[in-house]
Amino acid sequence: MTARRVVGWLALTLVVLAVLYLGCSYEGPGIASLFVWCTGGLDEVEGYVFTGLRLPRLLVAACGGASLALAGAVMQATFRNPLASPDLVGTAAGAALGGACAIVLQIASLGLVVVPAASLLGALVVTGLVFVLARAHGRFATATLLLAGIALNTLVGALTSFVVTLSFDNYTASSNVLFWLMGGLESRTWEHAVITAAGLVVFGLAVVPRRRELDLLTLHDDTAHSLGVDAPRVRRWLVLCACGLTAATVSNTGGIAFVGLVVPHLARLLVGPAHRVLLPAAALLGAILMVGSDLVCRLTPPTWNLRLGVVTAFFGAPYFLFLLARNRRLEDS
Amino acid sequence: MNSLVATDLRVQLGAREVLRGATLAVQRGRFALLAGRNGAGKSTLLRALIGACRPVAGGVELEGRPIAAWPHRERARRVAFVPQSVDTPFEFTGGEIVRMGRYPHHGRDEDLAAADATAIANAIAAVDAAAFVHRPMPTLSGGEQRRIAVARALATEAPFLLLDEPTANLDLEHALQLVALLRRHTDAGGAVLVASHDLNLFAPHCDDVALLHDGRMHTVAPPLEALSPEHVRTVFGVTADAPTGPFPRAFRL
Repeated sequence: MTARRVVGWLALTLVVLAVLYLGCSYEGPGIASLFVWCTGGLDEVEGYVFTGLRLPRLLVAACGGASLALAGAVMQATFRNPLASPDLVGTAAGAALGGACAIVLQIASLGLVVVPAASLLGALVVTGLVFVLARAHGRFATATLLLAGIALNTLVGALTSFVVTLSFDNYTASSNVLFWLMGGLESRTWEHAVITAAGLVVFGLAVVPRRRELDLLTLHDDTAHSLGVDAPRVRRWLVLCACGLTAATVSNTGGIAFVGLVVPHLARLLVGPAHRVLLPAAALLGAILMVGSDLVCRLTPPTWNLRLGVVTAFFGAPYFLFLLARNRRLEDS
Repeated sequence: MNSLVATDLRVQLGAREVLRGATLAVQRGRFALLAGRNGAGKSTLLRALIGACRPVAGGVELEGRPIAAWPHRERARRVAFVPQSVDTPFEFTGGEIVRMGRYPHHGRDEDLAAADATAIANAIAAVDAAAFVHRPMPTLSGGEQRRIAVARALATEAPFLLLDEPTANLDLEHALQLVALLRRHTDAGGAVLVASHDLNLFAPHCDDVALLHDGRMHTVAPPLEALSPEHVRTVFGVTADAPTGPFPRAFRL
C-alpha cells in the first residue's frame, strides 16, 4: 500500500473513531441519540451532552494527540535521536511547571491564554537548557540527551512539587493544579478546544513547510549544511514549534505520556521516514491514539477512575518491547 | 575565480586552536589530496571550506566571494561534501538519501523533475549502488553507506567535491572505482579535495598533495615533491623511502 493511501486510511479511521467517541459512553445518550442529534431532533439537555461536553472533549483529544505526535516527530528529527520526545527532552515537564505556576499564582483567571503562555515559557526554558547541555560538537548523542533530559525532568518535577506545596494553604488553587497535573480530558470546554486547535494550526502549519529540511537534519549537521540548510537556525525554529505544540496541549490536558515518543515510530513503520508523509501520518495516528484511549476511559465504570495517561502508557510500553525485538532481528540480519 | 580558497585560516574548537593559519586553494580541473596526522585539522579545514564552522581569523572565498556571503542553496549547488560519518538513525533507503542531493536545486515545495531523475540515476550508477539502493541505510554495510553518501554528493552536480576519508570501509574494487570517478570529475572541469590517510591509493592519481601539520599547511606540491622523505618525516614522524619507479604506476611510499 502506498504511503498516501495509508494516510487516507488513517484519516478514515479517525472519522469512524470520532463517531464512536461521540456516540458511545458508559453513561448518557448513545449512538442512536447521536444520529437523532445530527438531524436536530434531540432535546436541549441531551443535545448539550454532545455540543457542550463530548464535542469539545473530542477536539481536545484529537488536536492534542496530533500536536504531541508532531512535536515528537519534529524533536526526533532535529535532535537526530529516535528517543527524543516532549517527555524525555523535558518540554512537557517545563510546560507543566509553567502552567502550575500560573494556576498557583492565581493569574490563570486573567485570560484564556495565560496558562498556555506560561506553559510555552516553561517548555522553552527547559528545552533550551536541555538543548545547550546535550549538544556536543554539533551532535546530540543518545546518552547525553538522556542524561540531560533525566536531570532536567527530575529538577523540574521537584520544582513543580514545590510550587504545588506552596499552594496547600489555598485549597482551591492546590486542588486545581493537582487535578490538572494528573492529566486527563474531564470537563474540557470549547475554550480548551479552541486553544488546543489553535496551537495545532499555528505551530503545525509552521512545521509542514520545513518537511524536507527535517529529512536533511536527520543526516549530520555538516551534511545538512552542505546541502543548503541553515541547520542551527532551522533547528531553533523547529524546536520552538515543537514547544508550542506541546505547551498548547499540556496546558489543556496535563501530562500525557508516551504519545510524543511512540507515535512517530509507529508512523515510520507504516509510511517510512520521509517527513512529507510522516508528518500527516503521525498527526493522524496521534489523534487516533488519544481519541481511542480517552474512549476506553469513558467506556469503563466511573468508579475505576481510569486516567488517560494510564491507557496511553498501556499502548506505549508494549510497542517499545516490539521495537526492541525488531531491532534485534535487524541486527541479526 | 574558479577556485575555493582558504587564506590564513584559524579555527578554534573549545579551548583548542585546531587550525593555526592554514592556506589552501582548491582549483577546478585539479585533484588534491589533503593528508596529515590524526588531529592535524584535516576535517576542520574541510568543514571551514564548506562554511560549516566560523574561523576566528582568515577566511574562505568561493569564486572570489566570501563563503558566508553565499545564499545557502547557491553555495550548495557549487560545493558538495561527504563527511566521515555517513550514518543516519532513521530507516531512509539509499535512494531517498541520494534524492536529498537534489534539495539545493529546488524550493521547499517543488517536486523532482526529469533532470533530477537523470542526475540521481547517474550518481547511483557512478558508485555502483543500484543493487542496494532500495535498502534502508541501517541495514547497509559501512562501505555501502559510504558509496550512497558519495552518490548523494554527486547528485548535487556541484563542481567542487570535498570528501573526508571517502575510502574508509570500501573494498579494493570500489576504492579504485572511486579514485577513477574523482579523476574523471576533475578531468571534466570539476575540483576534488580528498582528506585521507591512504597516500598510496590517492597520490598516484592526484595533481597536488597538501600536508597539514599541527594546524598549519606544511606544504602544497605535486605528489613526488610533497611526499619526499623529508616532508614525510616532518609531518608523519616516520622514515620512508622516496617514491620510486615510473610515476604513477609504481608509486609506493
